[in-house]
Amino acid sequence: MKVMYLWQGVVSLFLAFAISFQAFAGEPTDQIKLTTDRIISILTDSALKEPARAEERRKLIRKAADERFDWEEMARRSLARHWAGRTDEEKREFIPLFSDLLERTYMDKVEGYSGEKVVYEGETVEGDFGVVKVEILTAKDTEISVEYRVRRKGNGWFIYDVSIEGVSLVNNYRSQFNSIILRSSYRELVKKLEAKLAKK
Amino acid sequence: MKRFDLELGVGLFFILGIICLGYLSIKLGRMEVLGNEGYKVYAIFSNSGGLKTGSSVVIAGVDVGRVKGITLEDYQARVILNLPESVKIQEDAIASIKTKGLIGEKYIEITPGGSEKIIPEGGRIRETQPAVDLEELISKFVFGKL
Repeated sequence: MKVMYLWQGVVSLFLAFAISFQAFAGEPTDQIKLTTDRIISILTDSALKEPARAEERRKLIRKAADERFDWEEMARRSLARHWAGRTDEEKREFIPLFSDLLERTYMDKVEGYSGEKVVYEGETVEGDFGVVKVEILTAKDTEISVEYRVRRKGNGWFIYDVSIEGVSLVNNYRSQFNSIILRSSYRELVKKLEAKLAKK
Repeated sequence: MKRFDLELGVGLFFILGIICLGYLSIKLGRMEVLGNEGYKVYAIFSNSGGLKTGSSVVIAGVDVGRVKGITLEDYQARVILNLPESVKIQEDAIASIKTKGLIGEKYIEITPGGSEKIIPEGGRIRETQPAVDLEELISKFVFGKL
């Protein structure tokens, strides 16, 4: 009898896990919505709007973004052909450099949030890859179409590219990095990125 | 006897003319005589922006192949690209539709990726960038200013 109960326990525990995993793995849209909503709630939190807490606010936004963006994949895709030629150490050094570059480029725009609405238009999933389509409605009623390209990794979906009005972010950096590396060298590219990040 | 030679000459000249004409039309029309050689991949674009069969496929500015066919699939453009066997496309390569000049003809540019996985014959380039609709962008910009 005891064994029976034990089994029941194990089975129900397993089921609970299975269900929660499924809920967690969910659809890519749900996961992107979760992150977007979290960032919007940070942005609209009036307590965090005080200038003294600006740094803290930035950190919170970055943390939320870190959970959804696959920086390594983005860096790998942006370096493209030049990624294979890098040593492990160079790759480790490049990933944070790249994510900091994106933070620097886009943080101001994110912080300039003024009540834009995000409408989820649908998603397509094919194996481990998916696309989530989003319309951003600005206060002036302009629609900006954004596509998140996501990849399944374990139980989550992670963003590896963002297309805004059909223009891919990775493609933009890929051609820029490629031309810098071909004109000078990889070290020169790292120097350029570091200089850009150091500039306040 | 002499007459026979003349007829033969005219006949030969005529045949030569037809061969030349055939060669010229194949060359100029960019047709393929032995249709199915090469490495074929396809890509799906939300907007092909007036791309045509026969448009060029370019890597790093080098003309490497041609668009073999464009069909509608689920209200999106499915474009088949024909490339030489020597060109290999990585699975993270990006295919984008570009315009020569501001209003010139459309072509496809492939920016090679860094993945070790190569798209197999008949496979799909997953990452695409549709043609930029200049008119739409202008209207967005104009109405955005309101």
